[in-house]
Amino acid sequence: MSVLAVNNLCKKYDRFELDNVSFALEQGTITGFIGRNGAGKTTTLKALLNFVHPDGGEILFFGKSFKVSEFEIKQKIGFVAGGINYYPKKKIKTITATTRRFYEKWDEQAYQHYMERFALDENKTPDELSEGMKVKYSLVLALSHHAELLILDEPTSGLDPISRDDLLDVFLGLAKDGITILFSTHITSDLDKCADNIIYIQHGKVLADSNIESFLAQYKVMEFSDEHLSDDLRSKLIGYKPIKHGYSALIKSIDVNNIDEKVTDADLESIMIHLEKE
Amino acid sequence: MNNLLYKEFKLAMHPTSVIFLSLSAMMLIPNYPYYVTFFYTSLGIFFMCLSGRENNDIFYTMTLPVCKKDIVKSRFLFVVMIQLAQVLTAIPFAYIRSLYDLPGNLIGIDANTAFFGLAFLMMGFFNLVFFTNYFKNTDKVGVAFGWGSLVMTIYMIIAETSVHVVPFMQKYLDTKDPDYIEYKLVVLVVGILFYSVLTLGAYKKSVRSFEALDL
Repeated sequence: MSVLAVNNLCKKYDRFELDNVSFALEQGTITGFIGRNGAGKTTTLKALLNFVHPDGGEILFFGKSFKVSEFEIKQKIGFVAGGINYYPKKKIKTITATTRRFYEKWDEQAYQHYMERFALDENKTPDELSEGMKVKYSLVLALSHHAELLILDEPTSGLDPISRDDLLDVFLGLAKDGITILFSTHITSDLDKCADNIIYIQHGKVLADSNIESFLAQYKVMEFSDEHLSDDLRSKLIGYKPIKHGYSALIKSIDVNNIDEKVTDADLESIMIHLEKE
Repeated sequence: MNNLLYKEFKLAMHPTSVIFLSLSAMMLIPNYPYYVTFFYTSLGIFFMCLSGRENNDIFYTMTLPVCKKDIVKSRFLFVVMIQLAQVLTAIPFAYIRSLYDLPGNLIGIDANTAFFGLAFLMMGFFNLVFFTNYFKNTDKVGVAFGWGSLVMTIYMIIAETSVHVVPFMQKYLDTKDPDYIEYKLVVLVVGILFYSVLTLGAYKKSVRSFEALDL
């Protein structure tokens, strides 16, 4: 049974549409949800939790419909949108005192443990925390009620590289403990470090839903001078774009045979950049 | 529901909601449009919703294991509690005002039993107009309060004018208690009934609007 299964999720706006978005998450995996700004990442995550109402489709958490079992499901998940962005002037201990009352499985020992581990001071307000610490406090709240699934909307945006790396280490540790993580980001290097799977959304449609290694293995990056390009090769290129000394493009790995040009392994960022050029 | 009410008091409540309860003492002013006291109650409710928007209260609450309907219910329960508290704190001051060796309120209705019935009615109208607008779009708190305060202002003008021009109001309702108490008690009971019906109607419509709202 998937921890989260989304089938044919649709939502239509005047100028944007989520079009039959489907994916599934397995326990203990980290899944990166990528796409450029406005691709539909946040809308999808909000639809999962009923912040926005889908026009169609099915969302199952732990095999149960969110509409039917909203209360039970919310006990088992943690939703973090960036850092903590609510009640910025209230002390953390006041926010915690309120939040803990809502969870049947609130674990005070776990709360104290994570507060110490992340060096968080209960007497501070969210406004007094750095962006990284805000995300960590949100995670503490989620982990203290033993959330089995964390849904994180751009948790690493606005963090410096060291804080981001620190947070990714936390994610890896949580996944080892069997916690499932879905996080949206446009900082693809974060996913290179920790994701098992990626879901790539473009213009409201899922372009790829795959294991990250096999997704990366599908493409190579080719750098070349324009004058050396044959018409046959040109037709195989994806997202042709100028670079400092010539041009670069994405090419499918199966099309790479017998090419003299410089070909390198693709990372997520180069795949995204070139695919978005198409 | 207890947890949500706790959240309303501990996190969401704006201090003015409590501070404005002290304005019940305005009943001591010899001549005054006493309905203004309850206008301040509504202002405190508006501040709470406004600060809720600035503090992302709805987002925070939506991430908790609660249903959308219960978010609306807890806000209504809180508001009813504050409005009842305003009435209850106003009653002793109204009684003290009635002991003055002065004529009744020259501006509008005396702070008597009928006045509280009419004040309940005014708060019922406010709840209906403000909350049905607010829960259609929780970001547009100002628009909702604009309509709510307009309705209250019109109500106050009509109610205060009527005690000068409508003979029944002048003769029976704008008098010191316990004169014509039987008429005033009817107004009080009808006011409470209408307040209950209007507030319940506002709650039901707000639940539907909020359920349909994309956040």
